[in-house]
This record gives sequence, C-alpha cells and structure tokens, in this order.
Amino acid sequence: MPLIRDDAIILQSLAYSETSKILRLLTRSHGVRSVIAKGAMRPRSRFCGLLEPFTVGIATIYLKEGRELQTLGGFDLLRSGQSLGRDLLRFGGASLLAELIVRTAVEEHQPGLYHRLLRALDRIECAPAAELESVLLAEAWGLVADLGYAPILDHCTACGRALDPDEDGVFDYPAGGVRCRECAGGVTGRTVPAAARANLSRLVAGVAVALERTRGYWILLDRFIAHHVADGATIRSLPFLAEVLQP
Amino acid sequence: MAVIEELTGELARLPGIGRKTAQRLTYHLLKRPAEEVRRLARAIEAVADRVRACSRCGNLSESDPCAYCTNPRRDQSILCVVEEASDIEAIERTGQYRGLYHVLGGRLSPLDGIGPAELSIASLMERLGNGEIVREVIVATNPSVEGEATALYIHKLVQPLGIRVTRLARGLPVGGDLEYADGVTIAEALAGRREL
Repeated sequence: MPLIRDDAIILQSLAYSETSKILRLLTRSHGVRSVIAKGAMRPRSRFCGLLEPFTVGIATIYLKEGRELQTLGGFDLLRSGQSLGRDLLRFGGASLLAELIVRTAVEEHQPGLYHRLLRALDRIECAPAAELESVLLAEAWGLVADLGYAPILDHCTACGRALDPDEDGVFDYPAGGVRCRECAGGVTGRTVPAAARANLSRLVAGVAVALERTRGYWILLDRFIAHHVADGATIRSLPFLAEVLQP
Repeated sequence: MAVIEELTGELARLPGIGRKTAQRLTYHLLKRPAEEVRRLARAIEAVADRVRACSRCGNLSESDPCAYCTNPRRDQSILCVVEEASDIEAIERTGQYRGLYHVLGGRLSPLDGIGPAELSIASLMERLGNGEIVREVIVATNPSVEGEATALYIHKLVQPLGIRVTRLARGLPVGGDLEYADGVTIAEALAGRREL
C-alpha cells in the first residue's frame, strides 16, 4: 500500500463511529481525497484537535487505488483554522468555498486549486471587517470561475455580440451569462446594469470591489451556482451566509 | 438461524460495532441464561418506550420536564448550553455544576446543512425571554471550529438581553504532557493564558 505525504486543507470533518472521523481533504497534488482518521476522537489521539475544517497541514495517507476511502496515517499541522470559527461571516465564507470544492471534487490533481483555497482562507481570515463581504464575494466568484464555471459577461450569450462597457444586460442563468437587451425577451433573470456587470467581472477575476449594495451579487451567485455548479441542488452554506449577513 | 442473523444485523447497526463484534455479542447472549437476556430486551424496550426529549431543555429523560428542570435545589439563574444530551452526563460527572441545561441537538455546520433553524436555538431564546431568571448562559459547545461558531452565534443573540454569556475554557488537559500536546491545543492554551 503506497504511502503519500502531501500538503492538505481539511474541507469537511465528520464523526464516524465512536472515535473516528471521516475527512474530505484538498491535497496539493492528489486532488480531493476522503480519508478515515481512526481513533481521532480518543482523548489521547495524536490527531486530537488537529482535524478540524480549514486546518492546513501535511497529510500522510495510506493510498489504496480503487478505494474511495483512504486511511490517514498522520497529519502535521501547518496552520490552524480555529480563528475562522470566531467570526460568523468568515466561518460562513470559508464553509462556502469548502462546499464548492467538495461539490465539484475530483481525485485528479487540479493545478492551482490548493494554492487558491489557501490564499482565499488567508484573505478571509485577515480581511478588515469593512471589506470582508467584498472579499467573500470575490473569492466565491473567483473560485467558481477557476472551477471552470466562469459566467459570460463581455458578450451576449444568445447573439454573441460584444457588449458595450455602458450597456445593461439581463442575466440568463441556464446560458451562464448575460444577454443583450435585444435578445433578452422572455428571459426571467435579473437585469444587470453596466456598472454591476463591470463589478461582477472584477469579482470573477478575484478582485474585491467596494460595493454599496451586495445583495444582488449574492443572489446572482446563489442562482448561478445552483444552475451550473450544484446541478440544481442547494449550496447549504449560502442560506447560512444570508442569515449572518442580515442586519 | 434467521433470528440469530436478525439480532446480529441489528447489533451491527450500533455505533462502534462491526459485523464480527455483533456476531460475538449474539453468541454471548445465546450462552447467557434466558432471564438475563430477557432483562436486557426489557431494558431496551423501556428506553424506547419511556425516554423522551424534555420539552423545556431537550435532555433525554423519562419525565417531562426532566429531573434537572424540576429540581428546586438547582440554580435556576445559570443555564449551560450543550450540543448533545450526552454532554450533560459529562458535566454532571464533575460535580461542580448545579445550574440548568439546554440541549442544542448539534452545532452549526453550514456545509452539512445544519443552520440555526436545525438547532434548538429558538427554544433557548424562548426560555430566556419567558421570564426564566437566567443571569448567566455558559456555552459548552465543543472546542471545534463549528462549536466555536455556534457559541458566537448564541452570544450574539443572548448578549443584547443583558445576560452574561461565558464559554468553557480551553487548553491543556489536566495531567497531560506539553510535549505530546498537538499544536492547535498548545496555541489555544497560549491564547487563553491567564495571570497567576
């Protein structure tokens, strides 16, 4: 049974039986892996306290090809995720990113995804409170784009015409982007004013934009993800974020 | 053989018991006197029939309200919020706490679809707003990322009511050895250090 050592971020941690945990890990070179950490909840376990969501470390995994659940042999801490639990918005945002990766998980090496999430968690943890919501939107939209689901914002998804910078559009969720006014007949999506379209483009590029109102960007994200990333299913972290964001 | 198989199957569904252990337990029971086995069966049946969640605190109990809620000698002004009813037993074992309890039924975990609505947070707020003379709420959720977020959520809701909200301390276990403690626990202990 080959033994691998790889940098990993814990995406999800579930109790299993009396003392074990099942983890979903995003590894640097081996994609997303499910592992069982036997005895992790025993008081004197070497894993005690380490195997929490958003913790970054070096995972030692006994890899048996063809099996969905691998065995975790060790986990050396690089960075704890505990502080993300001390702010509900940061916790909700980190949960959203983890859920998006879990939903689209593949075992193949996804170059850059590990570093992307690592940077995102860093940014979420360190962002000043006033900028946090914009940072969350930028990281969520940026991750959606990096996972291969970038929305089409610069040209009409129906006729293909390039949209003028000052041109409004209408979001067509099934088509995955905006339509020009001429092609928007019968489309029930939100109207996206030119300025909002520009902001959305920057968010998709991972740039935290100073936004006066954020609700529309969250609604777009929610519906876009439901259509393209989650196959119509609900992303569970989004209702939690919506509740936390309520004034 | 059918009933043996059936019992083995039922036992194997219990946490921490695999097929092999279930089989061992089944054959162990078959070797015991019939009355002893019936006593076990009656005890399981009684638990299923009589134990319910307390309508006030959520503790699992034969009576409703439970013995903690109705005990006049317990301090009615302190409420300890725990994730699961089994946590009450752990706190009671210390013999240090004489207040009341409230069981949440889990902890916030957006990724697993557990939001505030899935926990008994509304009933907690109802208790606090219903004239119960609570001066302090001790949040005893687990010291995990999710337990921490749950504690924070409760703090946000309870603090505006003018009630003191405290959290169980975290750090090194008594009798433990620093050398063998994990990095997160040591970091938390350092962050939570106090004056001597």
